[in-house]
Amino acid sequence: MKKYVAVVLLLFFGYYLLLSFLQLDFGRADERMAVSKDYLHESVATNKVANVITSIVVNFRGFDTLGEVTVLFLASTALASILYRRNKPGVKVPKERILTSASHLLHIGAKVLFPISIVLGAYIFIHGHLTPGGGFQGGAVIATGVLLMILSYRKFHVNHNIVSWVESIAGIAFVAIGFTGLIFGTSFLENVFPVGTLNALMSGGAIPLIYIAVGFKVGAELIGLLDNILLNNKELKQ
Amino acid sequence: MVISPIHYVAIPLLVAFLIPLVAKIGKNWARILPGLTLAYLNFVSVYLMTKVQETGIISESVGGWDAPVGINLVFSPLSGLLVSLITGIGFLVWLYSYQFKNVEKNESQKYFTLLLMLITGANGVILTGDIFNMFVFMEITAISAYALTAFYRHRNGAEAAFKYLLIGSLASTFMLLAIMLLYAQVGTLNMADIASKMDQVSSGMKVTIFILFLTGFGIEAEMFPLNGWAPDAYTEAPGPIGAVFASAVVKAGVYAMARVVFTLFGYGDSPVEILIIMGVITMAIAEFSAFRQEKLKRMLAYSSIGQMGLVIAAFGLGTKAGVFAALFIMVNHALIKSLLFLSGTYMVYHSKEKLIAELNGMAKELPVTAALFAFGALAIAGFPPFSGFWSKVYFLIAAADQKMVFLIIMVLLVTTVEVLYYFKVINRMYFHKPEMELEYRRPSTNALISMFVLTAVILWISFFPDTVMGYIDAAANDLVNRAGYINLVLNR
Repeated sequence: MKKYVAVVLLLFFGYYLLLSFLQLDFGRADERMAVSKDYLHESVATNKVANVITSIVVNFRGFDTLGEVTVLFLASTALASILYRRNKPGVKVPKERILTSASHLLHIGAKVLFPISIVLGAYIFIHGHLTPGGGFQGGAVIATGVLLMILSYRKFHVNHNIVSWVESIAGIAFVAIGFTGLIFGTSFLENVFPVGTLNALMSGGAIPLIYIAVGFKVGAELIGLLDNILLNNKELKQ
Repeated sequence: MVISPIHYVAIPLLVAFLIPLVAKIGKNWARILPGLTLAYLNFVSVYLMTKVQETGIISESVGGWDAPVGINLVFSPLSGLLVSLITGIGFLVWLYSYQFKNVEKNESQKYFTLLLMLITGANGVILTGDIFNMFVFMEITAISAYALTAFYRHRNGAEAAFKYLLIGSLASTFMLLAIMLLYAQVGTLNMADIASKMDQVSSGMKVTIFILFLTGFGIEAEMFPLNGWAPDAYTEAPGPIGAVFASAVVKAGVYAMARVVFTLFGYGDSPVEILIIMGVITMAIAEFSAFRQEKLKRMLAYSSIGQMGLVIAAFGLGTKAGVFAALFIMVNHALIKSLLFLSGTYMVYHSKEKLIAELNGMAKELPVTAALFAFGALAIAGFPPFSGFWSKVYFLIAAADQKMVFLIIMVLLVTTVEVLYYFKVINRMYFHKPEMELEYRRPSTNALISMFVLTAVILWISFFPDTVMGYIDAAANDLVNRAGYINLVLNR
């Protein structure tokens, strides 16, 4: 009985929510969208950034991005503090994560793909202000490369120390770039670096710098997460 | 570098990223640095609160773009009051838990990072003038809160954290849906800008957005029936974290709700019935449940929910007097409930079940801690002349102005229940003989200092309420004055 009431209630609310969402008209360009017009115009005119999305994410709403990076940082801190399992005496711990080794095909393929994925990831976040993608995507691509290596080689090790150094330094770099805005300009995260010319690699001032920091941070964060999830035993790590 | 509201967010974030590095130099720095940061932020609070009284609301833009295009932070009498309160209690909780965790293990590093981020998130929610930015900070607050709930890695903690995580994710989803609908209607995310364009939104859409916001923030604000996470989370989280939940997480949720109701939707002209009804139900159910609890921290958690019901009902009155009472209760609740959690933690420190029945005769073993707890209990139940009494009186006056007889009756009834269950605890501590070995722990010096500071502040408010009421009055004016907020942020 309770279940049926719940289903009927859900359908009722779902219907009204759906009605509201059907009312939305996407892609409308009237006077109400004043802010997005500003975004489109200022990205090219002031920030000299060809990829408008990057300009919005890193400059106009850079504070949100700093927040999102922090959310990721917290998620990995939280996971590390929760997932750590104490070894109970008497419980046998497998010596290696993956008991059967990967196929020959995967071995060779991973070796070829790993450097490519690192380079591709780096390319994506370095060119975040010119082409689609950016720090988050590039970092994710790099972490995928590491995941591939973890899956195919039993003894592949991620140096935890390096990962946490990269993570911290990238985070500090993001906030430090923010503070240069506060010190040399008027507000936190303000773009005080020379913006250069549109479409050049060296353009956009602080925007590509922030995205590179984000790329390193996201990459390191995700690698740390994978390391924690797949190998959550302190004893095994050493 | 001029001291400005951005320091509340930027400096803790810098420190949070620095902590893993300084921990490599010396493990002790990982717990000293957050404390130094919070101490500095308290200095910022004092500086900005005096500045805001001289020059009026401070609106600071971030990223070099002014309000509707960029994100802005607003340090007004209202947000300033709450941020100062949260930062102050955050510092005291840091002091209290300084010796709380073994420094040699990584645990203390994680604990203090998460604590600092929890406070930063709550401060961000309150300071920001941008609705999406508020969502981001709500996420930061929530994720730190989930992790801290599961901090003691045992079964119940994991269950409580998982429950909180599920409900919390639902809250974020609702908020995001509401923000999406709102953005599609008005094309801006700045709260002042949205408020000025709110009349363009059709009334049906308005209702949908309002319900989504109310549900989303209601979960964080412990509104019935969305508060299922709270009793478990308070019980399973480390003791001092209960104090932070009551003073930071919930306060951020209630603030966000009030901002949406008063500033975004401008419903402040007349009583908001839904808030009054939900507030009264929350209050009644929570206080009666608190009466039936056998575990100390669980009882405090239900009491906290009950107080939030009172706050929500007070906001619902819609008048300036109602807002004033709501803010006064929030300030008192943050201080007193923190004191209760901090002192209560030591009394049941080593106990497995953490039952109230185990407190028999505690006053002989831990006279100071028990006295502080008893004082907190009297203050929060609204015993004259303590501060809880004043805030309840102002609530009753505000309700009487609106001729809400039923509300007054309910509040008096619920207060009686509150007095009963707090007296139950006091009775056990002072007038019962211990039946078994008591499972307490002697408070450390730092913990005693932080509890004494809290007590001193509560006593100060009790006997000189006028000194604080000026600030609360300015804050209430700020929330009610919708046009003033819009004009100031948009520079009209």
